[in-house]
Formats: sequence, structure tokens, C-alpha cells
Amino acid sequence: MSPIENLRNSNKRVWAWIAVAAAGMGVGYLLAVAPASEKEPDHSAHAHSGEGYPASSASGAGGAGSDRFQYLHPEEHHTAGQAALPPEAVFPIEPPPRPDKPGVREYRLVVREDIPHEVSPGVQIAAWTFNGKVPGPVLRAVVGDTIRVTLVNEGKLPHTIHFHGVHPSDMDGVFELVPPGKEYTYEFKARPFGVFPYHCHSMPSSQHIHNGLYGMMIVDPPTPRPPRRELALIMSAFDTDRDGEADFYAWNGRAFQYATNPVPLKVGEKVRMYVLNMFEEMMAPHIHAAMFDLYPSGTSTRPSELTDVVDLAIAERAIMEFEYEYPGTFMFQCHFSEHMELGLMGWFNVTGEPKPEPTAELRRER
Amino acid sequence: MSGEKRGWVALSVVVPLAALAALVWVVWKYGTGVELAAPAPIEKLDFLRVEFLPGELRAHVVNSGPEPVTIAAVQIGWTNRASWDFTVEPDPTLPRLGRATVTVPYPWLPGEPYQIALVSSTGLVFLHDVEVAQETPRAASALGPFALIGVYVGVIPVYLGLLWLPLLRRLRPEWYDFLLSLTVGLLVFLGVDALTEGIETAGRIPGPYQGTALLAMGFLITVLLLQGVGSGARRMGAGRGEAAAARLLAYMIAFGIGIHNLGEGLAIGGAYALGELGLGKLLVLGFMVHNVTEGVAIVAPVTRTGVSVAHLAGMGLLAGVPTILGTWISALVYSDVWSVLFLGIGAGAVFQVVYAILKHMGGRQQVAAFSVRNISGFVLGLLMMYATGLAVIA
Repeated sequence: MSPIENLRNSNKRVWAWIAVAAAGMGVGYLLAVAPASEKEPDHSAHAHSGEGYPASSASGAGGAGSDRFQYLHPEEHHTAGQAALPPEAVFPIEPPPRPDKPGVREYRLVVREDIPHEVSPGVQIAAWTFNGKVPGPVLRAVVGDTIRVTLVNEGKLPHTIHFHGVHPSDMDGVFELVPPGKEYTYEFKARPFGVFPYHCHSMPSSQHIHNGLYGMMIVDPPTPRPPRRELALIMSAFDTDRDGEADFYAWNGRAFQYATNPVPLKVGEKVRMYVLNMFEEMMAPHIHAAMFDLYPSGTSTRPSELTDVVDLAIAERAIMEFEYEYPGTFMFQCHFSEHMELGLMGWFNVTGEPKPEPTAELRRER
Repeated sequence: MSGEKRGWVALSVVVPLAALAALVWVVWKYGTGVELAAPAPIEKLDFLRVEFLPGELRAHVVNSGPEPVTIAAVQIGWTNRASWDFTVEPDPTLPRLGRATVTVPYPWLPGEPYQIALVSSTGLVFLHDVEVAQETPRAASALGPFALIGVYVGVIPVYLGLLWLPLLRRLRPEWYDFLLSLTVGLLVFLGVDALTEGIETAGRIPGPYQGTALLAMGFLITVLLLQGVGSGARRMGAGRGEAAAARLLAYMIAFGIGIHNLGEGLAIGGAYALGELGLGKLLVLGFMVHNVTEGVAIVAPVTRTGVSVAHLAGMGLLAGVPTILGTWISALVYSDVWSVLFLGIGAGAVFQVVYAILKHMGGRQQVAAFSVRNISGFVLGLLMMYATGLAVIA
């Protein structure tokens, strides 16, 4: 007699239970495995569009052709449900002005850990911050000024600040770890003039830096550079899932923020852009439809080259001076496609009448 | 039973249940008292199905982790990843075991490799790689082609195998047990194959579906049910002679192979749905050659007694048509879970038939079960399956 027959003869109810169990399994899996939805997703409801990405415009949705995948003109963002960020969410692109008289430049940089920081719309990481933001504030002094920076460690780990530039050993931020709850004051003469990074140098440095503890320091030459509209931009990246590969790249700590919130410029407006690469990859800042005078490291008042793209290795920086001849929307990006496609992309929104004559940069004798 | 005793029994039923309910309530309300919170978010998304539609990618995902997951960004990789616009239906936040469809307008090209990266609100990245993109047939229009694949892989080979019946019938009676042993070899190979494929697929499906348990349940329940049904049928057929018994055995083999083929169809379609399998000519041809042996297995019991063409046709349908059903199911729904279940059922059916054949052979007591001839039949069956399996380049 088979086991089943045994069961049947001894207890018919076992059969009923097997049937119930089988039916239950069937129904359960029908419920669990039935397709979530075979209907067309409703593009209007719950639209969760990325910002500044190649997108289908509302009018063009469903249409074929490559225009469907082109970058949306920022003015069309609203029609596509890609609203601009609230202004306070955008990292200020303009550095503080050059101090107009010599003196002591005092800064207080408070380090905190695990501050929620949005690297891309809806994607929040636990960043380590100077004064609550990534990157830290732009520090500025004139060559010869005293820079006095107090590090206030409100985190749970020891931190430091390491400045690039010339200073004594105990101002170098390598040996003097500042324990949690303590303060340390760095003081040194600002020199030479140029653009410098500053960053935490606690071990492991990669963690302390790429969690967000970095910023830019501008030291102005004794004779002021001619006044211009000034922009300060740090190029960096975020490995949000810790797999050794960056997941988002950003101008000033947040992917695509100047794409959803373009930077307004005017035709003929003279622009000075301070750019610093704080990531472990080569970066190639590039502006569209204009040429810039390049001041590598910002340590000279004479441009080295007229170009529209430059390679910056890690911690390398430059000043770029340019102006636009034509109105319109122009991209500024990292020319490494991956960096651009993952966030290192923004728009200059240039207004005014076209002025198709060589700019100061183009007129310069070389 | 006295009233008092009955009361105690009732109490013994109610008290544990009430205590469990109270415990659940307390833990739900006040926690466990043990710090179980993870230091980092535990998020898990699994891809169920990826569709390549004209100018559009669609990923069907399930949250198989313990916490809700919010899909905040989508990146599509072609050599490197790039951020893309997207929509999520019904909601970007998926509760545990919640499902969603992510739609990405994207100018994908056939033949290119792509990676789909879903970034959660906490920055975790869930990846799915597609080695070779090709347009996903829409469910309705896929039924035709998938049916054709089912016919190629299931129906045609089984019938081709059945056509050997006249040849097999010419064998001398003492070779009958050899044929049955060969069938056992074929079936054991199929059963092991189904189990390993089931275990492999079980590893691919999201954790909460408990793939291995599903496989084991499918296997055990099928063995027990068929054992019950088989003995019932044998009792009904008792006294109708050897021909009826042999036919019944042939039908059982056909049924077992049919369920196995249903699982095979689901597996083919499931891999196809995830974009992991290009259904090339070679693969279809390989399955065809491999499955011809299934026809031989079915007719082995009836070589001595003979069988009508109608019965043969019925057995072929029973064994072959489920392949079509399998591919259809996989064209319409996420099928890996079903695939595991049916591979388990298929393996159970096949092994139960092996048991039935051995019993059939032993019952006739003509030769020792482990004669040289029988063992070589069994080994030949295994070898045939192995050799034809080489043609399946999956």
C-alpha cells in the first residue's frame, strides 16, 4: 500500500487538508505573482521626473524621433513637470567679494557628521559637512592677510583642516587631530595668491573628504583683479552605495542644480569663474559657445591660454575669464561624458542683444 | 468526553492563541527590547521583468527587503551610466513586497548592452544588466511566436520520438525491459535536470518567495498526489489486462514529461522576459533534439502490447502542449516563481513515474531488475540525454 493509501484509509481528512493547502498555495501565488499592472503607466499622475536630464517633453511624449531624448530647454521644465529647485536649495554660485582692506580673515568652520544632503532630487546621503553644507563655504583673503580659521568639531570623530598653500607645520592639519567637542584655530598668512582647496585630512582621508569635508579658498593678488561677475565652482562626486564607483557628479555638491536653476548672465558681461576639482578622477570643465582666458591655479595675473576646455587633475584648479557674445542658453559641463550625464552639467542663461564682435579675451594680443 | 474535559481542551486551544496575539501586540507597540535596528538602511529591489519597447525601457520591480524603498533616480548605462528622466507607477515608494513599474524614455538600440540602475532615496543602487537588447514582444503579439517556440521545443520532438514506435515494437520481448530501463535513465536525467534548474532559478527569484521551499513543496506534493492518483487508477483498471496497465503507465510518463515541459517553457520564457536570453536558432534546435528522447520514453511501456493512434496522439499532446502553456504564462506574467514551482512539480512527476516503471518491471518478475541489459539500458538513457543536451547552448 502506498503512503497515500495509508493516509486515506487511516484519515480521510488528510486529503481535505492537502486540497486546502494546495488551493491556498495556488490562490496565494496568483495574488502574489499576478502582474503589478499591464496597463500603460499614467505619465501625468505621480510624474517623478528627474531634473535636467534628457527627458520627454509633455507635448512630445509618445512622439518618436530623437527630439524626444534631447535636453529640455530649461524654460520648458515647468511644462514637463521638472520644477526648478527652491532658491535656498541651490548652492550659492557666487563667492564672497574680495576684502577691500587688509586685515585678519576670521572663519568658524563647524564640522558635523551625518547631515542629510541631497546629491540629486530625492537622493539623500548622510554627509559630513563644514557649516552644514557640501561643499564648505568659500574662504577669501588678499595676499598678506592673516587667515584665522577655527575648526569646531561637533562630530563624533576627530577632524582637521588641511589648507593648500604656504604655512607652518602645525597649521597643516595633518598631525593635530581635533577631537570631538574640541576646537582648533589655524592661523597663517595668506600667500601666494591663487585658488586653493581646503579639506579634512583625518584618516581615512578618502572617507572624510568624499563624505563632504572640502571647500575652496581664494587668495587675491595685492592689485585687485579687474572687477568681473564672479562664480565659484567645485567639481566633485558621490559614491552613494559605497561600491567604489561614483554614482553622482556635481557642480558644488548637487547634481544638475544649475540645470534646473540656470545661472543668469548678460551678453558682454565679463565673467570670472573659479573652478576646483575635488574628486579622484580627471575633470575637464568646458563652457559652450565662448572661449576663456585660462589662469592655471590662479597664481598668475596673465592668462596662459585661450581655450574652452581644460584638464584638471585631482585638487587642481584654475580661473577662467570669459564673456558671451550671443544670448541664449549655453551648457557648462565636465567634458567627460559620464560626469556630465551623472550631474556635472548646468546652464548659463544669457540675456541681452547679440553683440557679435570679438570679446576682450579674443581681442587680446598673444 | 465530559463537559469539564471539553472545557480544558477548548482552553488549551484558546490560551496559546490569545497569548500569541498579546505578544504580537506588545512587540508591535513597544518593540522587542533588543536593538535590532540596522545601522544602515536595509533596502532591496529585485527586477522581475524588463521590457524594451520602442523608445522606452520598462522595468518591473518588487521591494523584497524589510523596509519601504523609494526610487529617487534612474540611470541607464551604456558603457557608462547616465541619469534619465523616468516615471514610476503606481508610486515611487514601494512597501514591503510592493511592486512598481519604472518607465524610462530612452533611445535604446537593438543588439547593444544596457544597464538599468535604480537609485533609492538613500543612495543605494540596484542594477540590472541586459547583455543584448531586443524589442520585447507585447504580451498579445507574443502569444503566436511563443506558441511556435512551444511547438518546436515541446510538441514536435515528442511526436518525432513517438514515431519510433514501429521500430521499437520490432524489438524482441527480452529487450522490453531494456527499453523500460532506458526510459528510466531518460527520466532520471530529466528529473535531476529539472531539480538543478529549479534550484538555479530559485536562487534568482526574490527571497520572500522562498524558491527552494517552493521547489521542495512542488516536488513532494506531486509525488504524493500522483502516487495516490496512480494507485487509484490502477485499481480501477485492474483486471483489464496488461495492455491497459501499460497504456496507463505510458500516460503517466506523458503526464510527468508534460509537467516537466511546462516548467521548461516557463524557464525559457522567464529568461527571455528578463532580457537574459536571445532565443537563437541554436537554442531551439538544441531543445528539439534533446526532447526527441521524451517521445521514446513515453512509448516504451506500450511497445509490447500496442496502442491505438488516438492514444498516441493523446499522449503526445499531454507531454508536448504544456510547453506552449509555459511560454504563454511567461509571456503574460513574471514567471520565475511559477517556473520554480513547476520545475519542482515536474521533477516530482518524473521521479514518481520512475518509481511506477520500476514497480511495473519488478511486478512482472521476468528478469532480475539489475541485469546487465537493464543497467546498460539505464546508462544508455542517461548518455542519450547527456549527448543531446550538449546541443542545448543556453
